[in-house]
Amino acid sequence: MTSQLNVDTIVDKAGSGGTNVKVANNAVAVAEGGSATTNVVQGLVKQWGRINQDTPAILDSFNSSSLTDIGTGTHRFVFTNNMGNANYACSGMAQAEAVARGTQYTNSSNNSTSLVERIDIEDGGTRDAGNSATITCGDLA
Amino acid sequence: MASILKVDTITGVSTAGSIAVTGEGNSTTTNLQQGLAKVWINFDGQSTIATRDSHNSSSISDDGTGQYTTSYTSNMASVSYAASGSHNRNGLSSTTFSNDSSWAATTSGIASITADSTNTGRDCDAVLISILGDLA
Repeated sequence: MTSQLNVDTIVDKAGSGGTNVKVANNAVAVAEGGSATTNVVQGLVKQWGRINQDTPAILDSFNSSSLTDIGTGTHRFVFTNNMGNANYACSGMAQAEAVARGTQYTNSSNNSTSLVERIDIEDGGTRDAGNSATITCGDLA
Repeated sequence: MASILKVDTITGVSTAGSIAVTGEGNSTTTNLQQGLAKVWINFDGQSTIATRDSHNSSSISDDGTGQYTTSYTSNMASVSYAASGSHNRNGLSSTTFSNDSSWAATTSGIASITADSTNTGRDCDAVLISILGDLA
């Protein structure tokens, strides 16, 4: 038998906030249009982070335990909770800092425990960015 | 004592597709549906293109060198959604990722291009796309 819960707000049992609420990995939510459904857990962003590559330092993040400086413009984000595999989708952008210097974000050498972001510039080199952001969607382990 | 509520579908009372979740700061709320990624995909864009893993993606098509279309299982409500992507460099000196020149985003899919520094399309073996916005 299927069941349906109609609510306006989800908080934890203590009523102090939503951070302790657990959602099963097959839960679906009714979509904005009111007809289709979308998987809640698959739709959650699994990692995000904003970093200063010059320092380098994590300015703020979710599910990121550490940052490793691999080289100019290239850093590895280590996940707190690992992904299920390396087949996730991560994307990001970086501060341009100079009009003449194009900024492209590429990924490489990703695995289930960490991702690598790289900031390319238009002349083929790489550079550190004062602000760089990454978002990761996919399956947690 | 922890409590577990088991349901198959979460639906808003006032609006079916709108659930508020209390934010991390314990004061404001954020919309559950709007905060979910509606599509994400990781695919191999070289030779025989193939999806490695995805959410709400029905298929991908090879539209030419470095050119792909990702189709959705459940359509978006409009074309005004946010798409972002990245790809591996694949040994190129510089690469770009963009939707195509005509902003070919429809409610049922999006076209994307991976290109080198001369704007020549190049196939890449890891193309990663995420879509946020409203489902139909």
